[in-house]
Amino acid sequence: MKTLTATALALILSAAAFAAPAAAEGKLTISSPQDPGGWDPIDTFLVNWASVATNVFEGLTYRGPDMELVPGLAEAWEELDEGKRIRFTLRQGVTFQNGEPFTAEAVKFTFDRLLGEEGGKGPQQSNYTSIAEVQVIDDKTVDFILKEPDPVLLTKLAGYGAMIVPPKYYAEVGDAEFGMKPIGTGPFKVTSYEPKVGVKLEANPDYWGGAPKLSELEYRFIPEPATAVAELQSGGVDLVIPPTIPIGMIPTIEADDNLEIVSTAGPTVAALRFNTRDGITKDPNVRKALIMAVDRETIVSSILAGQAETIGSFQGKDSFGYSADLQPLPYDPEGAQKLLADAGIQPGATVEINTRGNDSTFNEVAQAVAAYLSTVGIVATIKPYETNVLLNDIIPQGKTGAMFQQSWGGWTFDYDNTAYAMYHTGQKWNPYDSDPELDKLLEAQRPMTDKAEREKLLQDIAVYAADRALEMPLYNLNAIYAINKRVENFTPAPDSRLKLNEVTVK
Amino acid sequence: MAGFLLKRLLQAAFVVVVVTLIVAFAVRLTGDPALMIASGATEITEADLARIREGLGLNEPFLTQYLNTLSGLFTWDFGNSFIGGTPVARLIGSALPATLALAFCAMAVSILLSIPLGIWAAVHKGRGVDQLIRVVSLVGLSFPNFWLATMMVLLFSITLKWLPPSGMVGPASFIMPAATLGVILTATNVRLVRTSMLEVLNSQYIMVARAKGLPERTVLYKHALRNCAIPLITYMGLQFGGLLGGVVVVERVFNWPGMGSLAFDAVASRDYPVLQSVIMVLSTLIVLVNLLVDIAYGLVDPRIRTE
Repeated sequence: MKTLTATALALILSAAAFAAPAAAEGKLTISSPQDPGGWDPIDTFLVNWASVATNVFEGLTYRGPDMELVPGLAEAWEELDEGKRIRFTLRQGVTFQNGEPFTAEAVKFTFDRLLGEEGGKGPQQSNYTSIAEVQVIDDKTVDFILKEPDPVLLTKLAGYGAMIVPPKYYAEVGDAEFGMKPIGTGPFKVTSYEPKVGVKLEANPDYWGGAPKLSELEYRFIPEPATAVAELQSGGVDLVIPPTIPIGMIPTIEADDNLEIVSTAGPTVAALRFNTRDGITKDPNVRKALIMAVDRETIVSSILAGQAETIGSFQGKDSFGYSADLQPLPYDPEGAQKLLADAGIQPGATVEINTRGNDSTFNEVAQAVAAYLSTVGIVATIKPYETNVLLNDIIPQGKTGAMFQQSWGGWTFDYDNTAYAMYHTGQKWNPYDSDPELDKLLEAQRPMTDKAEREKLLQDIAVYAADRALEMPLYNLNAIYAINKRVENFTPAPDSRLKLNEVTVK
Repeated sequence: MAGFLLKRLLQAAFVVVVVTLIVAFAVRLTGDPALMIASGATEITEADLARIREGLGLNEPFLTQYLNTLSGLFTWDFGNSFIGGTPVARLIGSALPATLALAFCAMAVSILLSIPLGIWAAVHKGRGVDQLIRVVSLVGLSFPNFWLATMMVLLFSITLKWLPPSGMVGPASFIMPAATLGVILTATNVRLVRTSMLEVLNSQYIMVARAKGLPERTVLYKHALRNCAIPLITYMGLQFGGLLGGVVVVERVFNWPGMGSLAFDAVASRDYPVLQSVIMVLSTLIVLVNLLVDIAYGLVDPRIRTE
């Protein structure tokens, strides 16, 4: 009898376990590929921190999926002293999720913490070093005093390290506990966080922007794409967020009537960068020939299933500094052969391509590139490295082959972020090249507060880099979301910073 | 006996120290965690990196860092994860039970299947049943566990929607991972049970028992099984140790929040404290299990003690 009861109990329990994911009206379950390990805004740079935390925290400014910068916790702002002082008027009547009022002091506290000793231990401080000090003018006004004008600062205030934190709560619970039980002003509040398993959020009914339409959010950390897709197919999760879905799994999802793929141009651009210091790629004409030898359109339409767009410079079309006028070099194998012959390159010359070993999609792309190169007589070998070894040793130390993978994308969508890191002399990502003229251009655009003027200069930099053929620009990859059709009002965010207060479920 | 125990204990401690020392040393050759942590920053100076390293305690000499980790075994304070700063003890505190539970379930599946099947095959040696069991176990042995796991997910989660495909959300979620691990262990164990059973069945005391006219059941379960149980228990004990370290792939496929997943993520993100502590705890456990097996052996077989 006892065993019978136990068996029955086990059956009921397991039945409850099946039923759990499907039930609960107004709950959205999301599969995220990575646990950021904590929720303190100053401790992380991970995109998958932001895909959760954008619901919890807010900044003075806000940038949604449409990429427009709009007021957040600040209602308005103005630039004073030639861009060296920004005055923010704060939204009134906002409270943190624990009831603590949002005040000018909270803004000052947030940035004192970010720029002080505590922020120094994390990766976010270096993004905000243009701020000298935050001054409280009165209850609803704060001034940001800048060391030099920073045209990207307003965008940076919309995310990551600039998220406003509650000073009283922080003082009560301390640093470690705050990372586990974060409190912000956002539409959802974290109720429980289980490291490596998931995080649960509930609606904040007092949200100043109106109560969210869902009552609950659950994020589950599922790093393995096949597992995440299996959960989606079996109804265990409703949404799989980037960067999870590999191109190869798109047909599986499209074949399922309950599911669909939603995508939008993302921040990530991919290129094969050249060793411009040694070997055959030292010659700009050879570099151009290599670019012309590769049919990038076909790579995008076949290997990438159209989930990308070819690029002429190392940025996507949402990037500040992009210009439609700058077209990629055309696919022209004959022209390439001629350029190679003129440069004195014999057929059979070799190049090595270094890739990230775990990036299966890019490795397919690299194989296609190698095949195209062989049609113009260049023998390309692909040598993958473990991602972190490639990023932190092989590239910065200048130990790559003639070409190496660079997948890059900053959430600010500002070409400065890319160009400065890639092309300025002495930068970590620029082990081979040094061009004083390019350095000068890169430095000149940084303090410019005139938006149009700065955009023009960034576009000029893109043209300059393309003229020198510093990299083989490949494509701008989409941010790919796989979603259950029962989810409504979902807008894919290019930068994965999801704010889900308007989303509903059927 | 005391001398034997002391010798074995010292050997065990030595193994743990060597394993953890190698891991601590090797992981430091694979890249700088400060660079990883800073890789989202637009620009990073050497001073920024130095500050981050100091925050992580990486400016201390290697030996100090290593001893700090090692002391965790006694204080249960393993420091904080480099990624997000969660205390490592908390991560291990939830991952270790998950892995142990999974390993127990897998062992249970394997024992419940392999002992009856192995005996059955031994008794019917050379006949159809025996052949069938041997062939099936050979096939089972050749399955890669990730393939088996994927096929089960496809059938039971996606097509039939009976079982949750991943995570540890209730008793139902144990079924597939435990079955995956269990089936593969069973394949080995059936053959082991069969062989040792055969050996025993051929011995003289079994012949005597049968000649006495004892019922076959008593002969099999009382005389034969008891005698071949010792090597089986030993072998399965070792297997359990191996299972603790060998569940990485299965944990990954089923997104099981255990030690394997923890180690996997820690390697990918150069999270030294997590990786070192996971390896240290696991190797200590494995060494302890082996030690217990050794001691049990010594108790049973006096010849081993005098070696």
